[in-house]
Amino acid sequence: MSAIEETIKDTIVKIVHCDREVLIPKSTFQDMKADSLDMVQVLVALEDEFGIEIPDEDAQKFKTFGDFVTYIEAKVAEKKGNA
Amino acid sequence: MLKSKVALVTGSSRGIGRAIALKLAGEGADVIINYFRRGQAAEQTAKDVEKLGVTAKLIKANVGDPKKLNEMFDTIDSSFGRLDIFISNAASGLPRFALDLDAKGWDWTMDINAKAFLLGAQRAAKLMEGRDGKIVTVTSLGSHMVLPGYAAIGVSKAALEALTRYLAIELAPRGICVNAVAASLVTTEAGMLYAKIAKEQMGESPSWQTTPAGRLVTPEDLANVVAFLCSEEAFMIRGQIITIDGGTTLVPFGFTSKGG
Repeated sequence: MSAIEETIKDTIVKIVHCDREVLIPKSTFQDMKADSLDMVQVLVALEDEFGIEIPDEDAQKFKTFGDFVTYIEAKVAEKKGNA
Repeated sequence: MLKSKVALVTGSSRGIGRAIALKLAGEGADVIINYFRRGQAAEQTAKDVEKLGVTAKLIKANVGDPKKLNEMFDTIDSSFGRLDIFISNAASGLPRFALDLDAKGWDWTMDINAKAFLLGAQRAAKLMEGRDGKIVTVTSLGSHMVLPGYAAIGVSKAALEALTRYLAIELAPRGICVNAVAASLVTTEAGMLYAKIAKEQMGESPSWQTTPAGRLVTPEDLANVVAFLCSEEAFMIRGQIITIDGGTTLVPFGFTSKGG
């Protein structure tokens, strides 16, 4: 499990107050019992945490926790590549 | 004409904010386009503003977060060193009934819709020192009428309207005009989404389709009034909530094609 994935889990647990065990690649936002406001707050917190931008246009495509991790890992790698 | 004026429009990537940004740009103002989540739409608004021959500056910030709001004003200060027009338009909120509202939803809505106006107006007033500034907020009929699932937003708009009056008086000696525009249902993406939710709760009503004036309110209808409130002709209008609703609120029992 990557450090990025751990940080994403920390952020979601802090904001959504779900059990950490719920966060597996296949889990959906319904599994996390997250509403749309939770998701916006998670996105904003992750943007700050990783210094990246997650446009709504991209975020709307996320269906599972795994989608989140894959997207953010790619964004962080892209940022490192540009640095 | 607003030539060489600097205007900040919060939440101007789309909808009402975008229409206001374009209207003020059309009158000659340089426009700062603030956005939060819709980066692509904000870039499009900036491009469209620049096509009108003025400067557009994009600033991403959640205005509900005081730290981000302050950073936005710091950027405006360092880039322009002044501000002539502040349009507090950004709004958010969960469609919930009062009995279903939790503390988180309440805080989120109040922070973006009301607190951001208070803190933003404080910073804007400093940048307007000696400049005859104009401040306009965007409110809605839900501040004093009960709309389905609109509790948090309605309360936040009531706070916004009260603040409009207080700030109008406190800032009057500095030559700053503060007013608000309030619309019935507006033909924006957010407005139409709300109408869909409201229809499910209340059933069909002519007010989801039209007004006594024969059509729904458009973002441009609001932008036109905002531009007027930003002009010198509106100098003696202070702390007012200007209703733009095609007559909807004059007919409490609904309206028909024959009128009342």
